[in-house]
Amino acid sequence: MMPVAYARRVATLLLRFAIWIAPHDTVDWGHGMLSELNHVQGSWAALIWAMGGAGVLAKHAVLAVILPGSHRRTVSSAGELFAKEGPMRKTTLAAIVACTVACLLFFLAPVFRQAFHVSLAQWHDVLHIRGTLDYQESDPELKGLARKADQNHDAEGLAFAAIRHWNEPESARLADEAVHLDPKLTWIYAVIAVQHSALSEIDRWVPELEQWDSQNALPHFIVAEKIDIDQVVREKIPHRVKEQPPAWQNALAAAFQSPKIDNYLGRLKELDRRILLRYHVDDPFQILGIDRWYGLPSYTAWDTSRYAKSLLESGQTLEAQGNRKGAFEKYWTVARFGQMIGPSGGFFVRRELQEAYTQLGALSEKEGNKVQAMFYSSLAAQIDNAQQEENISIQNRFRGGDVSRWNAFIARASGLMMLFSGGLLLTCALTVIARGRSLRLSSLRPGRLNLGLGLGGAIGSLLSSAMLYVSYRPYAEILHRFIRTGDDSRIPELSEFLAYAQIPLGAEQFKHLGDFVFHFWVAVTVLCILALLLVVLRHFQHRERANATI
Amino acid sequence: MSRETGLKSGTLYPILMRLAKFSLLETKWVTTEDGVPPRHTYRLSPKGIELVRSSVVAAPASAKVRRPAFSGGRA
Repeated sequence: MMPVAYARRVATLLLRFAIWIAPHDTVDWGHGMLSELNHVQGSWAALIWAMGGAGVLAKHAVLAVILPGSHRRTVSSAGELFAKEGPMRKTTLAAIVACTVACLLFFLAPVFRQAFHVSLAQWHDVLHIRGTLDYQESDPELKGLARKADQNHDAEGLAFAAIRHWNEPESARLADEAVHLDPKLTWIYAVIAVQHSALSEIDRWVPELEQWDSQNALPHFIVAEKIDIDQVVREKIPHRVKEQPPAWQNALAAAFQSPKIDNYLGRLKELDRRILLRYHVDDPFQILGIDRWYGLPSYTAWDTSRYAKSLLESGQTLEAQGNRKGAFEKYWTVARFGQMIGPSGGFFVRRELQEAYTQLGALSEKEGNKVQAMFYSSLAAQIDNAQQEENISIQNRFRGGDVSRWNAFIARASGLMMLFSGGLLLTCALTVIARGRSLRLSSLRPGRLNLGLGLGGAIGSLLSSAMLYVSYRPYAEILHRFIRTGDDSRIPELSEFLAYAQIPLGAEQFKHLGDFVFHFWVAVTVLCILALLLVVLRHFQHRERANATI
Repeated sequence: MSRETGLKSGTLYPILMRLAKFSLLETKWVTTEDGVPPRHTYRLSPKGIELVRSSVVAAPASAKVRRPAFSGGRA
């Protein structure tokens, strides 16, 4: 139990503290309560008296923070009567400083710095600092990494930079250097050839790839794509597969005969992980390269579908001619390739795979092998189910989960709010300094509007920082887990989040990003013109008033 | 004043502060004796006295009129 003698001391301390936090206009009252404490009989009665008084002062302190202008000091002298600004409101200023410091403390956390970096990504396209495609080209972190890898003769570091470099000649140069240092990295030629299909180095790289991994279908698809692009550029696209040049047909035939198809994404993932760890890369956008769900040349889907169809047609022709063995081989080539692509043939040869199974079933039926016929029929039937499942999976990948979308929205909104609040706070501070014409705290006399706006800006900055941190934190953990343990099970979530985070807030309503950028700058220009008109109007109004006074 | 009205400090001071804000109450620091800390004293302003008078007149005659707490004297 508290000794009676202490009760009065506690009462005094309580009131002194309340006076310390009290707004300026109530300090006098606080001292009045303190002086009256000496006349209260009984220590406990004094404590109750102090508690009541402290409560009143605390209430005014809170009100002063929320409504800075509602507690103006009583004007007691003529000098103060004509003073434009009131005295500095300690409590409000303390709250502003506390919020600003707390907001700045967030930046000490690496996760928050990452989050802030992500929240700024939405402005890249709007301000044309760097577009989505040339994002990596001007990435100073990547450039620094490439330079360091070059100096250390680190083949993997060079390969990492080569894969991410969107400048084609530079990407090819880095890749050549990496493979020269470590021939085991020859596979990066395939990854870069898939990304930059117009590279002249591909002609030199393909034989090396075929020699390095002779069983892989990927180099053949790269060759076929190069021919396709050439045809598209020359606007001479053959309608039929048979009209394709022999080189294209040989490439597709070799691809369909290949025992495996490897897009080297597994190797790439491990390389990325090692480099992120080795060079302490914490840019989450570098992870975007890891989640390459297709990993094949863009023309491969079209090429394989067309070629598979031509094989099925050839099989039907052979079957009509009575050459069942030849027909079986054609159908089987399509079926085997479809199985190699994936359990249901992937999205681009699914129909052809189903047709191949159906034809194989029919052929087995004709040959009296009913068990085999039923087996092929069941495989054909399974494809529809697999297609439904895969469609849902692809849709989810493209649309992204609701959680990722919402978190990306919160991150973008928080980033925007942080910039706005920070700007407001800075403007208020600059206004007060400009009006005080000094940097000395004692000479700064912020007005009610400045205090209110400054407090709003500080609270806004703090709240938006906290929101940004909370919304990004799970994704930082996904990144951290991937780098540390190689667990990439949730990398698609991170990629989705980052993909959404790059879209400017409000741009979803527009069909093209360019339209949004155009409307954004039109709105900015209109607002600037309106502001200018307002300033001019006010200037003339003041002049008219001045003339009228004269 | 607190003893007179039976009001606690948490109730009394907001009333005093509000009255002072509307210039119905005048405040002053007064030193009474040597060594004794000065006391914060309160007195109704002419505007305050006028308001009290008009309130008392407006009150029903049957109502028991208590001695005003701020009767022009010091607290």
